[in-house]
Amino acid sequence: MTVKLVPDVNAEKRIDPATRRLVRTGVDTVLNPYDEYAIEAALQLKEKLGEGTTVTVFSMAPESGKETVRKALAMGADDAVMLTDAGLEGSDVWDTAFALAQGLKKHGFDLVICGSLSDDGSTGGVPGAIAEYLGVPGFTNARHLDVADGRLRVQRETDNGYQTVSGPLPALVSVTMAVGEPRYASLKGIMGAKKKTIAVQTPADAGIAQPLGASGAKTELLEFAPPPARSKARVVTAEDGPSGAAAIFEFLKEKKLA
Amino acid sequence: MQSVIVVVEHKKGHTRKVTFELATRARKLADALGGKAHAVVLGAGAAALGEQLKQYPLDLVHVSEDADVDRYLVDPTIDYVDAVAKSAGPSLILTANTMFGRDVAGRLIARLSAGYNADATDVRVEGGQVRVIAPKLGGATMTTSAFKNCDYGVVTVRPNAFAAAPGGAAQVVELAKPAGKTYTMVVEEEVEEASGEIGLEEAAVVISGGRGLGGPEPFTTLLKPLADALGGAVGATRAAADAGWVPYSLQIGQTGKTVSPQLYVAVGISGAIQHKVGMRTAGTIVAINKDPGVPIAEFADLLVVGDLFKIIPELTKMVHDAKAAHV
Repeated sequence: MTVKLVPDVNAEKRIDPATRRLVRTGVDTVLNPYDEYAIEAALQLKEKLGEGTTVTVFSMAPESGKETVRKALAMGADDAVMLTDAGLEGSDVWDTAFALAQGLKKHGFDLVICGSLSDDGSTGGVPGAIAEYLGVPGFTNARHLDVADGRLRVQRETDNGYQTVSGPLPALVSVTMAVGEPRYASLKGIMGAKKKTIAVQTPADAGIAQPLGASGAKTELLEFAPPPARSKARVVTAEDGPSGAAAIFEFLKEKKLA
Repeated sequence: MQSVIVVVEHKKGHTRKVTFELATRARKLADALGGKAHAVVLGAGAAALGEQLKQYPLDLVHVSEDADVDRYLVDPTIDYVDAVAKSAGPSLILTANTMFGRDVAGRLIARLSAGYNADATDVRVEGGQVRVIAPKLGGATMTTSAFKNCDYGVVTVRPNAFAAAPGGAAQVVELAKPAGKTYTMVVEEEVEEASGEIGLEEAAVVISGGRGLGGPEPFTTLLKPLADALGGAVGATRAAADAGWVPYSLQIGQTGKTVSPQLYVAVGISGAIQHKVGMRTAGTIVAINKDPGVPIAEFADLLVVGDLFKIIPELTKMVHDAKAAHV
């Protein structure tokens, strides 16, 4: 499955004014929380399908992210591939999807599992774009998946429920948090992960000839600024239901909202 | 980029308000870029919705009722949009920042080698160049971005970002079926779980519940009637969704939906950062909580400290009474 390394989700994030990129130094790097669900879904599938299944962590990240990738191995993945190159820094959604697709094509797969979103970028565009580049069915926002007889069957979340969709393998699926809570790495898993292989793939290995990263990106951040701050609330203490309701109702009338 | 193409989301011809917001904005952007404003409406009900869209200031409304669009996931839609985009030439493609919109965007990035900016709250043209304004890092930063190295740019736009204004006389044209395509992602079944009369992301009023509700029942017995009275939708925190009180489709915040309604009523919600990032851009925020020290006091407009189980029914009644008095 694909995994993105993101700054600690609880850390205060900021953009570097000079590079106009997200500051990733001085902040702990963690697995994108959505991708932990992708790992969980992959491991569940492996448990169902049996030992002939290999779960590979595929990540486009700088080499410094190796120990974070190892956390995915500690959860139970078999091995990892890191697509790594200084020239990939500053990649946008297009760069990222293109590079991952080439890398995955080179590596080979039956099923690619992605998280639905990344915690830092939140564009949700990467899984669909990878599927399109790979020329395989791409099922987004899956809350349940099953593989049988060479077909993938997926329950996809929709705005007011779900739909069941199926298609042939090889395929790609992005999963939501409803696939189940990501498992914790056991001590045995953590020890075992130290012996597992993390292979490095360069863009050249993946057959990528064109410049990627900031120079190849198709978007450019021009400016950024904090949003206008909201002020503190007017606080009203309500002794009973009617007085609390009246306070809100008067406020809504004042704001012309009721 | 010269032309502007709106990819329309709908169900059997019923669409969201955001469609008309985008159609209206497309005209302004196309004029500034010196191109045409298009809309693409596909699947069952497309012809009827196409007629409705004629009243908005577009140049061309491309329609197809091809059954493959509903029978298969996303691929037929992308083939049609691709055909429209190729015939229109370098263009800006707009769609709503919804599950559908993000799906379409993801595919188009690769199909058209397009740049992509997500979750925009404004799209404008400055000096002939497209500028996309979007909150990033959970709303902690407002960014302005441009496209480069590409003929096509895709933007998903947050509902309620623009006003919708009819006026115009668009031409409706029937799209030809893309030749030589076979599709493999079969839609087998659609199941509706939430009532979903008004889409959460486009609702002008959102009544949202958290841990303070204590269980699933108050969502239907307390929040739903108030939402109905105010013409809004019901939302929830992650804690409420995780507890199984509501489906995840109602979850607002970091790992759920982002909403920008005119009015957000936070009921029994403390306002932790994970929730705040999904609703901080609401016009007015009213909170009801028994604890005056909750974080939401820092950014709500009004905090009523009291018993939500007593306040909400009274408030619902007041809204109903006021409406009755106006009739």
